[in-house]
Amino acid sequence: MTKLWVRYAVMGLVISIVLLPIYWMVAASFKTNKEITQDATLYPHAPTFDNFTRLFAAKDFGHFLLNSVVVTTVSVLLALIFGSLGAYAIARFRLPFGLDRHIGLSLLVMRIVPPVVILIPVFLFILRLNLIDSWLGLIITYTALNVTYCVWMMESFFREIPVDLEEAAMVDGDSRFGAFRRIVLPMAAPGMVATSIFAIIVTFNEFMFALVLTSTPRAMTMPRGTATLIGRIDTDWASMSAAGVLGALPIVIFAFSVQRHLVRGLTLGAVK
Amino acid sequence: MSKALVRKDRLQGAGLDGALPYLLLAPSLLVVMAVLLYPLIDGLRASTKFYRYGKPLRDVGFDNYVQLWSDPQFLNSLMVTVSFVASAVILETVLGFALALFCSREIAGIRFMRTILIIPMVVTPVVVAIVFRLIYASDAGMLTAISQTFGGGSVEILGRPLRAFIGLVALDVWEWTPLMFLILLAGLQSLPVEPLEAARVDGAGGWRLFWDHTLPMMRPILAVAIVLRTIDAFGTFDQVFVLTRGGPGEATRLLSIFGYDTAFKFQQTGYAAALFVTMGLIILACAMAAVRLLKKVEAK
Repeated sequence: MTKLWVRYAVMGLVISIVLLPIYWMVAASFKTNKEITQDATLYPHAPTFDNFTRLFAAKDFGHFLLNSVVVTTVSVLLALIFGSLGAYAIARFRLPFGLDRHIGLSLLVMRIVPPVVILIPVFLFILRLNLIDSWLGLIITYTALNVTYCVWMMESFFREIPVDLEEAAMVDGDSRFGAFRRIVLPMAAPGMVATSIFAIIVTFNEFMFALVLTSTPRAMTMPRGTATLIGRIDTDWASMSAAGVLGALPIVIFAFSVQRHLVRGLTLGAVK
Repeated sequence: MSKALVRKDRLQGAGLDGALPYLLLAPSLLVVMAVLLYPLIDGLRASTKFYRYGKPLRDVGFDNYVQLWSDPQFLNSLMVTVSFVASAVILETVLGFALALFCSREIAGIRFMRTILIIPMVVTPVVVAIVFRLIYASDAGMLTAISQTFGGGSVEILGRPLRAFIGLVALDVWEWTPLMFLILLAGLQSLPVEPLEAARVDGAGGWRLFWDHTLPMMRPILAVAIVLRTIDAFGTFDQVFVLTRGGPGEATRLLSIFGYDTAFKFQQTGYAAALFVTMGLIILACAMAAVRLLKKVEAK
């Protein structure tokens, strides 16, 4: 058997490989550009918040954050509602021609194809709707991208709820809707939480569609704004690291606060 | 699939009830059809047209598709993408599996490590690219700082083709090995212990145990993890866009970046659409082959 200290050594190594790069960015965000490029210090010798205040004062970071929060919230909520309804139908009804199975499977295929494949058509579609550079354009796109995922995940959660419970409620005089509301919904709630957590992370972090669908701070999301910023300030390492810290902070805090629900979503349900 | 067999349709009623499932499915299907399917078909149509400055000029049939396969830039992109996906996924699988085997028995601290390992996966990919630019930068980078601490000179990564490519693979390995680890760890922990115990009683050592028992039992979940990761890696965009923008030269220009540039920088919408359709077909083919392989493995 491997010695215990070897195990701890490996764990220590893994943890430092994960954390060191992050540390380097966070440290840089508290340095001045001079300290970063000329002194190459390993930690900030004279920590400053200037980089952050500058981002909020002059660079629209408040806007980016607001846009991200609105777009993410609305689209994940819509996708979760639509997706749960659809998933319930697929999980509980048998449709003619095996339609239920086919629909489930085609939605999964849509999910599997990397989104970059439909980048151009979606851009042309939103362009035709005249919704470029608006919240609505992003919300429509993200809702659609999330719906396929929500149907897929919620279906597996609904299937885990025994059908007998609903049946019993309906025999006892509940309407179907009543049974759904009082029996199924509470039992599916943890699944809905797990599903939306993953959807929130993916949507908040999404960059590619935001890149082509937005062009001004009016609608730019956090990742889009961050990327634009560093395009312009190529060697302003201090602002760049501060932007990176700000860009990732909300979602990392969110992920930590909900981490026990996270793994199943990240693996598309492969791990329960 | 076994779940489908135990499905019950006792709840199915008549009349309005019969229409219920369709009503429930309607919102999802409408959104998907309007925003994903219709544009997809539109994209197929665009891929048979010749565009100049973003405007369709004339129908060219399958010319765009034919042209792709004699376009050195496309072929190079395809090569870069395949090498990137292969090296990243292989490294992630090996490292993730090794780490999972290492941690399969509970020791104090594992929980903490698992928590830390979530970070690379959830940090915004754009920010991951910033993190790595800050590591690789020849004037401000961590590698340079470390090298200087030990008396060396500055380290240049992103300016050289091979190093930039390796740097990109390293980024992907850093970001996604944790996912492999988590999936495979869950798989290991769900394995039945009896066969392993029996083999151990029979005197099998560590490696024997691994090759003859653990690996075969892990094959299905390994396959799922590899397929998921491969498909995802094919679509990598954000990290390259921010880290190298495809450069230097074409060293890290993945298909996704090449397609993006073709469409939005050079405005050759039709050609780019054909490229993405081709890319989608390649991925679908890979996925279908993988699923078939999976079924064969499961049937054994």
